[in-house]
Amino acid sequence: MEESDSEKKTEKENLGPRVEPPLGEPEGSLGWAMPNATMKKKVLLMGKSGSGKTSMRSIIFANYIARDTRRLGATILDRIHSLQINSSLSTYSLVDSVGNTKTFDVEHSHVRFLGNLVLNLWDCGGQDNFMENYFTSQRDNIFRNVEVLIYVFDVESRELEKDMHYYQSCLEAILQNSPEAKIFCLVHKMDLVQEDQRDLIFKEREEDLKRLSRPLECSCFRTSIWDETLYKAWSSIVYQLIPNVQQLEMNLRNFAEIIEADEVLLFERATFLVISHYQCKEQRDAHRFEKISNIIKQFKLSCSKLAASFQSMEVRNSNFAAFIDIFTSNTYVMVVMSDPSIPSAATLINIRNARKHFEKLERVDGPKQCLLMR
Amino acid sequence: MANVDSDSRHLISEEENEVHPGPMNIQFDSSDLRSKRPFYIEPTNIVNVNDVIQKVSDHASAMNKRIHYYSRLTTPADKALIAPDHVVPAPEECYVYSPLGSAYKLQSYTEGYGKNTSLVTIFMIWNTMMGTSILSIPWGIKQAGFTTGMCVIVLMGLLTLYCCYRVVKSRTLICTSDTTTWEYPDVCKHYFGSFGQWSSLLFSLVSLIGAMIVYWVLMSNFLFNTGKFIFNFIHHINDTDTILNTNNSNSVICPSAGSGGHPNNGSLILYNDTEVQQFEKWWSKSKTVPLYLIGLLLPLLNFKSPSFFSKFNILGTVSVLYLIFLVTLKAIRLGFHLEFHWFVPTEFFVPEIRFEFPQLTGVLTLAFFIHNCIITLLKNNKNQENNVRDLCMAYMLVTLTYLYIGFLVFASFPSPPLSKDCIEQNFLDNFPSGDTLSFIARIFLLFQMMTVYPLLGYLARVQLLGHIFGDIYPSIFHVLILNLVIVGAGVTMACFYPNIGGIIRYSGAACGLAFVFIYPSLIYIISLHQEERLTWPKLVFHVFIIILGLANLIAQFFM
Repeated sequence: MEESDSEKKTEKENLGPRVEPPLGEPEGSLGWAMPNATMKKKVLLMGKSGSGKTSMRSIIFANYIARDTRRLGATILDRIHSLQINSSLSTYSLVDSVGNTKTFDVEHSHVRFLGNLVLNLWDCGGQDNFMENYFTSQRDNIFRNVEVLIYVFDVESRELEKDMHYYQSCLEAILQNSPEAKIFCLVHKMDLVQEDQRDLIFKEREEDLKRLSRPLECSCFRTSIWDETLYKAWSSIVYQLIPNVQQLEMNLRNFAEIIEADEVLLFERATFLVISHYQCKEQRDAHRFEKISNIIKQFKLSCSKLAASFQSMEVRNSNFAAFIDIFTSNTYVMVVMSDPSIPSAATLINIRNARKHFEKLERVDGPKQCLLMR
Repeated sequence: MANVDSDSRHLISEEENEVHPGPMNIQFDSSDLRSKRPFYIEPTNIVNVNDVIQKVSDHASAMNKRIHYYSRLTTPADKALIAPDHVVPAPEECYVYSPLGSAYKLQSYTEGYGKNTSLVTIFMIWNTMMGTSILSIPWGIKQAGFTTGMCVIVLMGLLTLYCCYRVVKSRTLICTSDTTTWEYPDVCKHYFGSFGQWSSLLFSLVSLIGAMIVYWVLMSNFLFNTGKFIFNFIHHINDTDTILNTNNSNSVICPSAGSGGHPNNGSLILYNDTEVQQFEKWWSKSKTVPLYLIGLLLPLLNFKSPSFFSKFNILGTVSVLYLIFLVTLKAIRLGFHLEFHWFVPTEFFVPEIRFEFPQLTGVLTLAFFIHNCIITLLKNNKNQENNVRDLCMAYMLVTLTYLYIGFLVFASFPSPPLSKDCIEQNFLDNFPSGDTLSFIARIFLLFQMMTVYPLLGYLARVQLLGHIFGDIYPSIFHVLILNLVIVGAGVTMACFYPNIGGIIRYSGAACGLAFVFIYPSLIYIISLHQEERLTWPKLVFHVFIIILGLANLIAQFFM
């Protein structure tokens, strides 16, 4: 029935946690099912409707933005999309208060990263009554098991008070349900602000947000999809989520020195965000991380057209050789060697051996570090 | 999920833009064009990281990758991830200039080909070349002798035309790189490496700074004469009696004939008027007026972007047309005075063949100079196959204009009372400051030069600072120092050596040596040699051209 269908889908798509069905609503209508034992953690990406969350997710996770409807104001379809991130069904029906049934498609983008963190997108604030009620009634479910809250503010928003109000109510919910969660605030669309005013405006917002967030701690970033700030902000977020990052960096350094590499980068698998890197000399291009990430994500998109998936890449010429390969279950590694006399095979063997070591490193840190768990 | 993307799109979108330190503004109205709007950068040479001068900045390269990637994430119809205007770097501003001609901003073509008809292209080439060098042509003819002068003008026109043709063709001979965005200095860099780049920069600066010095001298001259006209008009003074002149309503004066008699400021003796004395003290062509110009022009030179000044380009055309009209009118009034003495100078006439003709060739090198931007000008031509034909027609028109003005001024110069030797390096100086027609000409030219001067200063700054510091506006101090040097040179010359003919011929011969004579010929020889198509006649001919260029420069110092 409902359960077996979901189970089939589980095997196929390996979904995240289920949420309890809302009280009072028929069980089948929105595809809810019982939560399972290993509670996977959530990353909530929240913000006002139109603040740029979908574009941000699409860019960071290399998702196609399936825009069947235009974003001319939030339509019911968009809002339902926000709700249905965790649904197992490809379609679902919604019975509204009057008794009409509507059937919608679900976005098939169950984004997972860093092992088993699942990304949930929520429009926060500014919806009509239906959504308002639903959000309030489902609040506990939404905010349970949250590892990270990323709240997006549109810097051009004219309703600062309202934005802050919604932010605070989210914080309250977090405090109640997942007090250990890390909070990040992104002041987005900074490219629309004049260059000489950006620092000033960001500092203002940062102060306000830090003040409002007490007793919780929040980190603020200013971002725009049109420069490197978005990538850097997400890289910092990912960096802070890795529990043993110092140890990882030390091991990476040892690895690089042993194999005599110019630079070694560790990328997160889904987003190609740089988790850590080691370079043995000054590199000229400060934007290289983002560029590599964009190139590989673009390549992944092309591969997906052929139902293929990207595994590894070797680039070699008379001046250098670069290897990008799967490393651990959640990471990719990129090794840049500037000594052309070292054959590829040697480096690949080194990478393979290092892989085993790093996997052990991940596993050693055990169940309490569920982030990098398989 | 993957069906959203259509299969007909390229894997790597091809779009267009140049990113370069330097200043072209494309404004689109329809949203369709926004999605097709160019952003292309040349593939960086990642192997050679020691390139001193980066053609593509890291920022632009990162933005390029970003835009490529974002375009893969949405359907073509979706506007969410299209780069907004304020984020895409503004397209490069493209200025075309001839040092002594006009300088203006070129409208860029957006579809990859130009939209100008042949007529417009010919006019633009003519317009860019025409300028202040017209003023020295009659003097040059006088220096060379009438017959020699006419022949030299035609021959120089043909020679520079051929070299210009070589410049245009030089780009097409390169098959190893994509040269669609290249201008002539890039071609030089391709063949001669960084030596080619630096030397073409040096010679380009020589021509620009020479032109700016000439402009300063002329502006001081015109400002002085304008002031004097207004003063004399207000005080009803007629001072043409003091200087050798033709003594009638169409007076022509011989300012340099005062060497034997009283000096130019002889009016001091005749008019015991303290007011006039004061005026002459504070308004002196070589002592004070050049300095007054500093206050006017130095601030203008410090502007970051001179696009405001390029709007006044029409003044150049109007000035030239007015000069043609003026000369015609004067010729009608004065009549022709020509006598042919072949080798011996007489009291009023100069011989037809003189050994000072290199002075004319020096002036003409700069008068026919457009080799630095001819490629850009011809790129906008709609029918590219007509490029050579249009170039030839433009040169022919320019030659005809020079011949016309030179001939008329020389021939109509009233020789019985005045010697032909009196023709000044700036032929407007031969008309008294009370002459209304030439007063109007001076005003036009004064305004035109005041608008071109900041543009030339900007171009000199872009080239020099852009290549040395990589940034066209490193700081206000760098810019200020550069401007002070240029203005200082102009003021010094205006005070002590205001002979524009001399300045033009020296800087013209020097700059022309590289751009007109040596580089085009040498590049042609080298490319033929690489393709193994070099024959002896071609080699000899082009080496001969190089020798001519060298002789041109050396002769300036001796003749």
